[in-house]
Amino acid sequence: MSKPHVIIVGAGFTGVATAHDLALRGCDVTVVERGDLCNGTSGRTHGLLHSGGRYSVKDQESAIECIDENIILRRIVPQVIEPNGGLFLALNESDLAYAEQFIDSCQECHIPLEELKPSQVLKMEPNINPKVLVAFLIPDGTFDPLRLALAFAGTAKHNGAKFRTFTEVQSLLLDGNGNVTGIKVLNRASCQTEELRADVVINAAGAWSGQIAAMAGLDAPVKPTPGIMVAYEQRFVQRALNRLNVPGDGDIILPQRRMVVVGTSSYEAENVDYIPVTDDQVKLMLDRGSELIPGIRSVKPRGIYMAARPLVGGGSGRSMARTFKCYDHKDSHNVDGLVTITGGKATTLRAMAEKTADVACAKLGITTLCVTKETPLLSYRQYYMIPN
Amino acid sequence: MHNTRNQPSARRFLSWFNPIGRQTGSWAFILNRITALGLTLYLFLHLIILGRLAQGPHAYDSFLLLTENPFIKLGELAVVAAAILHGLNGIRIVLTSFGVGVTRQKQLFYGFMAIAAVTILFFATRMYMG
Amino acid sequence: MADKWNITLRVYRQKENEAPHFDDFKMEVNPHEYVLDAVERAWAFHDRSICFRHACHHSTCGACGMRVNGVEKLTCITLIRDVTHDGAALKVEPLRNFQVVSDLAVDMTPFYRKMEAVEARAVLPVTEAEIETPPSSWDADDALHLRLSDCIECGLCISACPVAATTPEYLGPAPLAAAQDQGLKRKPELLSVVDCEDGVWRCHSAFECTAVCPSFVDPGRRIMNLRTQVVGMRLRKLFGKA
Repeated sequence: MSKPHVIIVGAGFTGVATAHDLALRGCDVTVVERGDLCNGTSGRTHGLLHSGGRYSVKDQESAIECIDENIILRRIVPQVIEPNGGLFLALNESDLAYAEQFIDSCQECHIPLEELKPSQVLKMEPNINPKVLVAFLIPDGTFDPLRLALAFAGTAKHNGAKFRTFTEVQSLLLDGNGNVTGIKVLNRASCQTEELRADVVINAAGAWSGQIAAMAGLDAPVKPTPGIMVAYEQRFVQRALNRLNVPGDGDIILPQRRMVVVGTSSYEAENVDYIPVTDDQVKLMLDRGSELIPGIRSVKPRGIYMAARPLVGGGSGRSMARTFKCYDHKDSHNVDGLVTITGGKATTLRAMAEKTADVACAKLGITTLCVTKETPLLSYRQYYMIPN
Repeated sequence: MHNTRNQPSARRFLSWFNPIGRQTGSWAFILNRITALGLTLYLFLHLIILGRLAQGPHAYDSFLLLTENPFIKLGELAVVAAAILHGLNGIRIVLTSFGVGVTRQKQLFYGFMAIAAVTILFFATRMYMG
Repeated sequence: MADKWNITLRVYRQKENEAPHFDDFKMEVNPHEYVLDAVERAWAFHDRSICFRHACHHSTCGACGMRVNGVEKLTCITLIRDVTHDGAALKVEPLRNFQVVSDLAVDMTPFYRKMEAVEARAVLPVTEAEIETPPSSWDADDALHLRLSDCIECGLCISACPVAATTPEYLGPAPLAAAQDQGLKRKPELLSVVDCEDGVWRCHSAFECTAVCPSFVDPGRRIMNLRTQVVGMRLRKLFGKA
């Protein structure tokens, strides 16, 4: 009596959410991660629980995904979310010109929206730029990146999933036909290597998923696209702020504990193990951020960091779609046993996991349906409390 | 996790008294530990000496002569100092426990230590000059 | 801003079944970067076997706590220029009073267990947060708004606490502070958790927790306040007003 064994490579958002989904569908799940949870892009994400407003004009598919998932996450994992809404601020004529499109497209995407006069918005958020011309209140939020992942991972553990951290994939095990049958890992704490067999291996290594796919001689069309974030040491606002315009650099500010975090930028990089911060990017965040909250000029940065988005190929930088892609390499390259999930963003982690689990279940002949939309997650501390 | 790092050991015990990287509060804590151990040791010595009473006046008197020895005198001063330091530190902890001077606990400690220094000096002069 | 310093990063190393030792990495760093960046660099370019925990890089997740030159620091917000100088060494060690998993990574399980035992709040109403500059008045909506709590469960206070060093049973600063944050009046069931040998009375007022807390929690003050609350509850019980 054995359940199908699925190995997930990477314990970032996609990995932990997929582990949760597959554990609920009756799979025997093992997650391997070379560091600890969320040590890559997921941990360093901005923490914006998107309402979809940011993508509503250019990328309605992403926007609808966001608002749907936003509502689900508020319901299933409220313990890691500041559900205080977000404001889109217009500060000049160009912003005002964008407003009409913004209102229409938010309505098309069913994103609830409330228009606020300057006096109203300044009463709600006294620290924003007093020159604000108009503002829109939408259901954005802030989440704690690590604890969001821990909540999924803890619930997955409760349902039987195993997590092996500080365990690095060295190679994929292949059968005679080039199909993937497992992985060879190095336990970085004991320095021992081990072979793990699986019915399906899911490559959820995000910005590093290209490296995993390459181990099977395959190509995953992921373009690591880093962006900078600067955390300032005062909580100026209670709500997420967005500049009311075409998405650009330094146009989001999030409250996070006693800080606000300004982000972000966008460029392509090859090696994303260590991404240096550059002074011009820090200055850009200060310049653009202080347009939304002038007060950030008078406080010090508390943390400055880079995170590499795992965007899917086609186009470049900001014009690249923020949706996700899930590949069964059986279909794309006639290599069985390997599924790659990439692209997407934190807000849509559950949906990405649902899609990935659907693909894996189809391969394994599992017909159980996804129930993660209706399953509240346990306390994130359960990740530590439940023995592996 | 098969390591000995967190097993009880002499090294771990010594780390209780390690002030490296620590600040005022730990100095107070270490001082309290050392004086407490010293006073406990003294209590046992004291009981042994009292036991001599049972052996008659002669044994006791000859023992009392020892107190004229300067080293023993120094030891006596150490007992007095330990009692003062430990007592005042205890009062500091009682005060902070009830919310008095919590935000100024460092100044509180320095204040009590200043009182301790003056008192110890007073006893020292009494013992050696009186 | 673009100066370069040459430093020696001394990293505590310990693998399973191996004796602990230090490895030295001579490296060029930007002094305006953070200690965590130096450790990540050492891993990326010098030695791929270094294990350490990190996630958010801006003091919200609490994963990257280490001892930097002997003092507990959240390495993601500790500037290199504040803890060493050009040509000097920079020593990083794992937190004390935790089991070492490997190198700089420790096992947080017992600590998280204690945080759960006191039902520590992860989010709280913004109106209850002790922020430095609260607005002159909260509007009606604010009462509905939530924010993540200040305590990021980094464990620095446990590592710095001289009492936690003497017994692993002691609840420790952050869990006691979390109990105080909720208040015994609001959560009377916490009384039995904190009013015991390994609870609020075990603290010896060293205030090391407050000295190292990177997140404005001030556990020392909160533990003292919790004692007052416990005594209040006991007195009420004694006079039959519980």
